[in-house]
Amino acid sequence: MKTLAEMSHYEVLEVTPDASPEDLERAYRLARATYAEDSLAVYSVFAEEDSSALRERIELAYRVLTDSQQRTVYDTSLGSEVAREDEIKIALDLVLEDEDVPHPTPEVAPEITEFDDFEEEDGGRVDGAWLRRFRLRLGVEIERIASITKINPTYLRYIEEEKFEDLPAPVYVRGFVSAYARCIGLEPGRVVSAYMERLGGTRRAEAQGQRRGWR
Amino acid sequence: MKRTARAPRLIAVGGGKGGVGKTFVCANLSVALARSGYRVVAVDTDLEGANLHTCLGIRSPRVSLADFVAERESDLAKLLVETPVANLKMIAATDANLACAQPGTSRRIELLAGLRRMDCDVVFVDCGAGSHAATIDYFLVGDGGLLVLHPEPTSVENTYSFLRAAFYRRMQVAMKKHEVRDRIREAMDQRNQRGIRTPLDLLHEVESMDPGEGKRFVSTMREFRPRILVNEVVTAEDVKLGFAVRSVCRKFFGIEAEYIGYINRDAAVHQSVLRRRLILDEHPGSDVAIYLHRVARKLMEALGPPAARVAHADPGEVIR
Repeated sequence: MKTLAEMSHYEVLEVTPDASPEDLERAYRLARATYAEDSLAVYSVFAEEDSSALRERIELAYRVLTDSQQRTVYDTSLGSEVAREDEIKIALDLVLEDEDVPHPTPEVAPEITEFDDFEEEDGGRVDGAWLRRFRLRLGVEIERIASITKINPTYLRYIEEEKFEDLPAPVYVRGFVSAYARCIGLEPGRVVSAYMERLGGTRRAEAQGQRRGWR
Repeated sequence: MKRTARAPRLIAVGGGKGGVGKTFVCANLSVALARSGYRVVAVDTDLEGANLHTCLGIRSPRVSLADFVAERESDLAKLLVETPVANLKMIAATDANLACAQPGTSRRIELLAGLRRMDCDVVFVDCGAGSHAATIDYFLVGDGGLLVLHPEPTSVENTYSFLRAAFYRRMQVAMKKHEVRDRIREAMDQRNQRGIRTPLDLLHEVESMDPGEGKRFVSTMREFRPRILVNEVVTAEDVKLGFAVRSVCRKFFGIEAEYIGYINRDAAVHQSVLRRRLILDEHPGSDVAIYLHRVARKLMEALGPPAARVAHADPGEVIR
């Protein structure tokens, strides 16, 4: 176990020494949120001076590692400790990302990449809950999707909750679902057709119900 | 104690705060593993607030852990109760002595030893709320206890106090020398005179007392790998809490916790508890069921298949 002073910039950000700029960006955002002044995660555990020292180190680590020149100089200074890299790799329990991604690149930058294997086992059913599960495992809030797709977040929520009666005409829903899917890295064609089928089925059933006076 | 190839793996479910879903998680994971072919025993150690039997659909078990505590029965196997699920048996914690529910130290040691000898593949241990010494010992019996927490300050706070208590206890028991153990006990008082505030301070203290014990301290730290489960998530922020807590474990405690997954908030869970039915059966296609199965799958990956499981040294062998 190391003191803050003994930790390398990589250890401070909890990334491996071969971290890409995207990895650094993600790790920095997560670290900054984790050790923010009002952060839920550090509530009651760190003394204020410790977390403020940590925050300073996080900023410094990010500044050095995202500047390619500074990073090279820094890596050279670390280089004398050959065993270090292995040590860090073991310590950080690194998760290697898959080379061939089964989904298109999402438009939104994922905040989490560790749960990538999750959706594989979920079975075939594409529905609102499935979209939500997919979004949550990327660590992305609905507001973020809304700001990228320019779709009203309330509609995005209705799509996830399958509040079909509150959604606009199918032609709009189709567009919304397609944009949402693309945004989180899903193939729009497949998602849209499955989702519209659910919507159509429900609305047909409702219409029939109304005709038969069930309501 | 020598472990045989048939010794079960122990997974404790704890986390400090009451009402975060420890029992719910314990019951459903037990069922998920039993249905995947593991022979599972679920043990309720919450003698002050026994609930696990209810979650598993058992009304009033005729025997319970209380019989072991009161020394009416010494063989844990005789306290096993069948559940509606094949491959799953349980030991309830009903009808405990109201004056003194938890066993004394020597009986507790016998209980923990008995759990390690159970004839099954996996033992799930449901821990009660709080950081009572007995609760901490039940949590440390396992191969990597599951910490269940809610995305709210009260739960996070209790999780850390629970983890702190577990950490110190784990270290204390691992140390060989009396004076080092005593020093750890002293450090458990968070306003101790020596100014030992953090686990790192304590490590430095132990190293300065005895370098050999310092090494043991570090290797014990590496073995202690709790798993984090965030229950009742709503937002992506809640999902990310698990990573943040893992980072705190690393930077504050120097331990590698695993973020094993999260479960969403769903009113259907409450309904299933009211009906004393399992959510996995009531709503098999729900997000909650899907998330639970994910966690179960990750646990099973760590455990290996039920039959071909190899014997391994138990890092959770805390009380000798």
